[in-house]
Amino acid sequence: MASARKRSRGESLALRYAILGAWALFCLVPVLWFLSIGLRPRTEIITPQPIYFPTFSLDAWHMIWEDWPMGKYLRNSVLAIIGSVIIDLVLAIPAAYSLSRFEYKGRDDIGFYILSTRMMAPAIVAVPIFFLFRNFGLLDTIWALMLIYAAINLSFVTWIIRSYMLDIPKELEDAAKTDGAGELRILWEIIIPAILPGIITASVIAMIFAINEFLFTLLIASTPDAYTMSVALANFTGGSDGVIYNAIALVAFLAFLPVFLVVVLIQKHLSRGLTMGAVKG
Amino acid sequence: MARIQLNNIQKRWGAIWGVRDVNLDIADEEFVVFLGPSGCGKTTTMRMIAGLEEPSEGEIVMDGEVMNDIDARDRDVAMVFQGYALYPNMTIYENIRFPLRMRGVPKEQHDALIRRAAGLVELVDYLDRKPSALSGGQRQRAALARAIVRQPHAFLMDEPLSNLDAKLRQHMRVQIKHIQRELKITTVYVTHDQIEAMTLADRIVIMDKGAIQQIGTPDEIYNDPANTFVANFIGAPPMNLIAGRMEQGIFTAPGVRVEGLPAKHDGKVTLGVRPEDCAVTAEAGHLTGSVYGVEPTGDMTYLTLKAGDKLIEVKAHRDYRADLNSDASVGFDPKRIYLFDTASGQRLR
Repeated sequence: MASARKRSRGESLALRYAILGAWALFCLVPVLWFLSIGLRPRTEIITPQPIYFPTFSLDAWHMIWEDWPMGKYLRNSVLAIIGSVIIDLVLAIPAAYSLSRFEYKGRDDIGFYILSTRMMAPAIVAVPIFFLFRNFGLLDTIWALMLIYAAINLSFVTWIIRSYMLDIPKELEDAAKTDGAGELRILWEIIIPAILPGIITASVIAMIFAINEFLFTLLIASTPDAYTMSVALANFTGGSDGVIYNAIALVAFLAFLPVFLVVVLIQKHLSRGLTMGAVKG
Repeated sequence: MARIQLNNIQKRWGAIWGVRDVNLDIADEEFVVFLGPSGCGKTTTMRMIAGLEEPSEGEIVMDGEVMNDIDARDRDVAMVFQGYALYPNMTIYENIRFPLRMRGVPKEQHDALIRRAAGLVELVDYLDRKPSALSGGQRQRAALARAIVRQPHAFLMDEPLSNLDAKLRQHMRVQIKHIQRELKITTVYVTHDQIEAMTLADRIVIMDKGAIQQIGTPDEIYNDPANTFVANFIGAPPMNLIAGRMEQGIFTAPGVRVEGLPAKHDGKVTLGVRPEDCAVTAEAGHLTGSVYGVEPTGDMTYLTLKAGDKLIEVKAHRDYRADLNSDASVGFDPKRIYLFDTASGQRLR
């Protein structure tokens, strides 16, 4: 009886690993495929016959660094993304604190309005934003990219942080108040550390959206001074050389890699649980 | 270290009343317990004292100063919460230190004060741990240490023991009382547990539906209840309340006849008698009923009798046994019979 139960538990574990393994493979194969395309000669990629033993080549690697200012694009992407996430957090944390903790007329309407900005198609505001940024002299600058990414992501960053704040027991704030802390002190010393997983989650999602943003970047960045990785990809699709698949694949992989590494490094924080032990349980 | 006065305190949210007409004068160094069922307004009253809720009407006065417009952080009260409310990102040491930092206590005094407070609650060995690494009892003691680390004007404790098991609760109860007596700090304690109230309080404030039902020492509350709510709320099992009629000093109800009561209360009357003031008698007593249940507990036997459609609890001798549905008779201690107006529930004296 007991051995049967043990066997069944072992089988169930094996099945779980099999399903998870299959899912991991399903998710990773496209990425590895991209990498393999990026590390093959261009002629081998467009050949109609299947190649079972591909040739390893760093042609694309050399090309993207030597023929194109990829380092500049990467730097532009990193600066614009980090800047936009910082702007988002500076604005979203107080907004979320207000929306989750204070009672005032129209609070829920304001919360819904913030979220509703995410509901419209970005193309609707593309032209007004172009003119706005032109009038401010911000076209073709990293600052403009920071602002636009921050504006695009602000609504959901606010909502994610708000939802984490709602989970913080009110008793923690009451305790801090009776201990003598003011609102800002409570936010800084009690709330923010307690919702750190939420802040990290929101930041990572904002980074992913920002790195993939294409429309506004193309609109605002007109020279390599402000090109980012996503727009750089488009550079490989035109011109006299045709579509340079291996370079596109390698740049796409390089764009994917930093976010992937960040997620792997902070996955512990992406799960909730920091407030465990704060209250009964 | 503070006298706290609540003058005509009301709290309502729109049409919903939280607290009505609360008047209370808490003396310096007194230990007052708010007792009542869930939703009776006891926690709301405490939160108003702390400054975490604003009264709709009335005044909260501490040492002669009206506190209504003073922020919670400036009231210098220390509060212990039901859910402990320890800051999860800080160690126990930092948790206890937090109020010292907020109140601007000189840094060089912090360590000695923290260790003294932790010592009082036997938590010195756990100072470098995070709250999540402590048991429920240790967390509650840490919360207590955070409250006592500075000498506040008053302690406010909101059901601090309700998440602990019975044995730990009893231990913590003794510890809280000891610390309060030692530090001589005015304490307001909220609970729905009558044992906590009876054992801890200098005075108990019994609340129901937002209003004070009775204020008194534990003895007064137990022995001299003001109404049927108090009579029924205090005591385990609670007081037997038997609705009947009184004529010429004789109370009658199905299976019950008691003579020699004050003749001035003729009409619909409810007679109250505690289970420990009833004694099983061989001859006809004040109440005759059929045995509904017999529950030996070791040191006594709970006997439940059915008289009419009413169940009457009796604390009988530990050796008492009886067959179900057999007849039994019970006499009441005449000095311990309480009379209440059936309509209003108020005590008839």
